[in-house]
Amino acid sequence: MNAPDRYERFVVPEGTKKVSYAQDTKIMNAGSFTIEREDHTVGNILRMQLHRDPNVLFAGYKLPHPLQYKINVRVHTATQSAPTQAYTQAINDLDKELESLKEAFENEKTRYDEMPKQGY
Amino acid sequence: MPKKGTKKGKSADDEPKEQNKLPEHLEVQRTRVVCKADAPTEGFQYAGAFAAMGIDNSVSVDKFCKNFKVMVNRLTEDDMEFDMIGIDASIANAFRRILIAEVPTMAIEKVLMVDNTSVIADEVLSHRLGLIPLDADPRLFEYISENDVPNERNTIVYKLHVSCKRGSPRLTVKSGDLEWLPEGSQLPLASPAQSGDKQKTYTSFGQSQKDIFEKPLGVKFKDITIARLGPGQAIELEVHAVKGVGKVHAKWSPVATAWYRMLPEVVFREEIRDDAAEKLVKKCPVNVFDIEDLGNGEKRAVVARPRACTLCRECVMGPTGEQVELRRVRDHFIFTIESTGALPPEVLFTEAVRNLEEKCERVISELS
Repeated sequence: MNAPDRYERFVVPEGTKKVSYAQDTKIMNAGSFTIEREDHTVGNILRMQLHRDPNVLFAGYKLPHPLQYKINVRVHTATQSAPTQAYTQAINDLDKELESLKEAFENEKTRYDEMPKQGY
Repeated sequence: MPKKGTKKGKSADDEPKEQNKLPEHLEVQRTRVVCKADAPTEGFQYAGAFAAMGIDNSVSVDKFCKNFKVMVNRLTEDDMEFDMIGIDASIANAFRRILIAEVPTMAIEKVLMVDNTSVIADEVLSHRLGLIPLDADPRLFEYISENDVPNERNTIVYKLHVSCKRGSPRLTVKSGDLEWLPEGSQLPLASPAQSGDKQKTYTSFGQSQKDIFEKPLGVKFKDITIARLGPGQAIELEVHAVKGVGKVHAKWSPVATAWYRMLPEVVFREEIRDDAAEKLVKKCPVNVFDIEDLGNGEKRAVVARPRACTLCRECVMGPTGEQVELRRVRDHFIFTIESTGALPPEVLFTEAVRNLEEKCERVISELS
């Protein structure tokens, strides 16, 4: 059978970088990131977070082919920013948001667990 | 619970600094998805969509942290429902995808068949065995790679040895018949190199798993039918369970399913009375509406259980179509997790969040 091995979906092959950046040759402050072994899970939230940045003029992602386990994220920013800067900022923001989300969830869980004790 | 017909825009209270409020119809476009009889209408999400009116539609980290809310509605041993308010669909979807495909569990991966005279074929039997949920915490195990030797930290071994005596009635083999082997495999590998050497088996356990794990590693449900044996038939086999993720095979998925839906909101554009109200109540298959008695024989329809709405749109079709509006709150997600049993659902969710954080870190640390 010629089906690709399943682990190829999440193991980055040796010699390739997880993330690489290519500057656009025609437009200033535009470029695309290629993220190996990621899919819509990361692509879509990254796109969403980039859209929240007021300096980002364009952000989009695509999964080039279902059997190529990588995504392309294209970013175009205003002159006061740069794609790499927007990208780093977006992921740092996302990290902070997830941290607060996790904390909120833990708090809510303890609150829910303690509800019967308080006689609700 | 949302009151019917939330007249005040939700986000208006979130921003005390902002003097400007959007007119109601625009606020609806900003925060709701309206379900018309034929199709839903999309609103605006772009940060500067209402900039001309002095309204900031952007979301900063601080704003997110301040507005984000969780509410647990139901939490049992293996299923959970909670509300997440103030997140984007892409985040909710990322959690769903991670829960289904990327949170690891333990599942049977190798079956060493010694004897199988039952009517069920070896490969079908193996497949059935693979799908049995195991009662083992995957966080205590390591992944095994192709060249690794199975040891007590990455493999769980079970034995199944059942036979049906001649002359006895048919026997049903249940998952409870799987017997945990904490000392590792009992099947010998080839012949020992030297007499006196410890017999080599398919695993090399350094110590008994009984000493490592607090509770025995059984199966989650003891009443799953694996096979049926007629008189004189027998099954003897040994299985090795390893850690994996749902991406590779669905047997490693920790959830039966995980899904979300946006909070439904049912609003009356105008009052619906008497006969029309009765008809509307009858029309709804999930009983979203109720009748309110106004005295002197007059009746009025009210929205009693908007959460039950499945968006079947029955009420926006036909004669009441113009009076009822079905909406969904864009940033309010009702998330449901059904665990298969290896981990409780709330732990699964925290694992999913951690998984996503790790992904983010990986995606940034390797950019140079």
